[in-house]
Amino acid sequence: MDEQQAAAMIAKAQHRPIIDVQNVKKIYRVGEVKIRALDGISLTIDKGEFACIIGRSGSGKSTLLNMMAGLEAINSGQIIISGKHIERMTEAELIEFRQQQIGFVFQSFNLLPHYTAQENVALPLMFRGIGRAERSRRAREALRLVGLSTHRHHTPMQMSGGQQQRVGIARALVGNPAIVFADEPTGNLDSKTSNEIMELLLEIAQQRRTTFVMVTHDPNMAAYADKTINVLDGKATGISYKNAETTEV
Amino acid sequence: MSFFDILGIAFTNLWRRKLRAILTALGMAIGTVSIVVMVSIGVGLTASTEEMIASMGSLTKIEVMTAGYGGSGSGSEAKLDARALESFRAIEHVTAVTPVLQYGGQAKSGRYMGYLQFFGIDMLTAADFDIVPSEGELPQGANSNKPAVLLTSDVAANFYDPNNGNSAVDSEGEPLIDLMTAKIKFSFDWEAFSGVRQSEEPAGAIYDLKVSGVYDNSESWEYYSTAFTDLELLQELLKDNAAYTGYDPKSGEYDTVWLKVDEMDNVEPISAALREQGYNTYSPSDYISTFEEQSRTVQGVLGAIGAVAMVVAAIGIMNTMMMSIYERTREIGVIKVLGCKMRDILTMFIAESAFIGLIGGVVGLLLSYGLSFAINHFIGEATGFASVIPLWLAIGGAGFSALVATLSGLYPSIRAMKLSALAAIRSQ
Repeated sequence: MDEQQAAAMIAKAQHRPIIDVQNVKKIYRVGEVKIRALDGISLTIDKGEFACIIGRSGSGKSTLLNMMAGLEAINSGQIIISGKHIERMTEAELIEFRQQQIGFVFQSFNLLPHYTAQENVALPLMFRGIGRAERSRRAREALRLVGLSTHRHHTPMQMSGGQQQRVGIARALVGNPAIVFADEPTGNLDSKTSNEIMELLLEIAQQRRTTFVMVTHDPNMAAYADKTINVLDGKATGISYKNAETTEV
Repeated sequence: MSFFDILGIAFTNLWRRKLRAILTALGMAIGTVSIVVMVSIGVGLTASTEEMIASMGSLTKIEVMTAGYGGSGSGSEAKLDARALESFRAIEHVTAVTPVLQYGGQAKSGRYMGYLQFFGIDMLTAADFDIVPSEGELPQGANSNKPAVLLTSDVAANFYDPNNGNSAVDSEGEPLIDLMTAKIKFSFDWEAFSGVRQSEEPAGAIYDLKVSGVYDNSESWEYYSTAFTDLELLQELLKDNAAYTGYDPKSGEYDTVWLKVDEMDNVEPISAALREQGYNTYSPSDYISTFEEQSRTVQGVLGAIGAVAMVVAAIGIMNTMMMSIYERTREIGVIKVLGCKMRDILTMFIAESAFIGLIGGVVGLLLSYGLSFAINHFIGEATGFASVIPLWLAIGGAGFSALVATLSGLYPSIRAMKLSALAAIRSQ
């Protein structure tokens, strides 16, 4: 091994991405028909990046997100997150991994209807076994971050869609995860609220250096991202950077 | 996740569906009532039979007999003599020993005839064997001309008129003879009072009895028409009447010896040791073990009948939990995505069904006490049918309800735990 190679390896190690998806395939069987949801997709996302996966309905973008979050098993390839092969983990290990590393923002908010905003935000901390007082303190802080300090004791039914999604974002952030996955976070919101939510996400991402991975079909939302990955028919067809040229894959 | 938080969530989830939780718990309550009340009747039955056995004699008394004399047991002939008595006194847990002589004879009071069974015992041990006068005092002195006796209270009503065979009682069933004041004559010669002699022997002596006291045996079956007297006095009387009693004063042996033991649990080991030595033994507590086995069977059968309602209630819990999990599929998916551990989800749902069982058990227990009271109050007084709820049954009943609920919640809870998070959030 010569010096150049060694230097290249060190450089590669130093720039190891937080998410490394390699040649992932996923095939669904619907009756006799096989559908290639993901057809050997590869991509990397660096720490602190605000990445957006964009594609049409049925392109496989949501499947990709679910796999990166360990919610769905892959057929082949590998997914390395923070240096760990998540495709090799058991379900219990995946839950532990999500508990410690991942935040999740849903399209339909998925707040528990019988709990207040603050209780909802505190849930991931409860699952970690953190005491009530500490949970409340951190939940209040997270709600302040998303600008909902005044709605701490409201239940989801008493809040607008935009407010509910802010609670959802606070819940995703409360445990200080390394990565936040967001599946169409603005899919159920009007365009004005959508823009507000995106501004909020971007602001938090920049402030906290949290890695964001968002899935959307809306180019307007994708425009907020540092890095946009186009997905079509289960393959990455192009990556574009804000202030940069699109690179063909 | 802390156990307290898990319980909190389980309780909140139950509270959200109050009516359903209450109805399901009511099912468990009915199941608990049916088991507890059924078993309590069995326990009541046991208690009343135990009482009956106790009335057959003190449960801490052992009658020791020579092998030829009767009772149960086998082995070489062992003698009941002065040496044997000494050895019995030396046995640990034995608190009193008396030799016993028993002979029957005829009594007469006015125109009434009666029967008396003489028990000659060591009067110093009378109190140890619960022979305590309810009236008067224990016989003292050894005047063989006018023997002092303690009569059992049933003696009075056992007198009868030989002309018509009627008992010496009035129309109310009350005895006509007052044992303390009546003149009572006694003889070991069965023909002494009849006036007709078939025996070649000269007529036996007739004694005027000195009744020093009465022993109330109306609640007990232990003695029948009995006269307790001092052992040595009885020996003397028997010797004087050897022609009728066949008593051999030279043998120095007794037919029977009574032992008093400190606790009922020591009766069986001591009895067994004595049988080992070649004696026969008898004690009322011998019945207890056979009887306890029977009563356990009865309680078991009654409990099993009660358990049918519990099984139905358990199916109800399972149904409720399945419904609840079906309704909350999405919620379970969400908490799984948010990092709730599988084990915690399992515990959460099991706690929920255990809660239902515990509430049902406690409510059922309260209802059982009410029902038990009603049974004793309205039916029991007339029929002697009793329902008794001992502490073990109370705790066991409520605990069993919680246990059954936990087990019925197990399968639904495992289903909840294994739900695919992704499929769960996609549902609806």
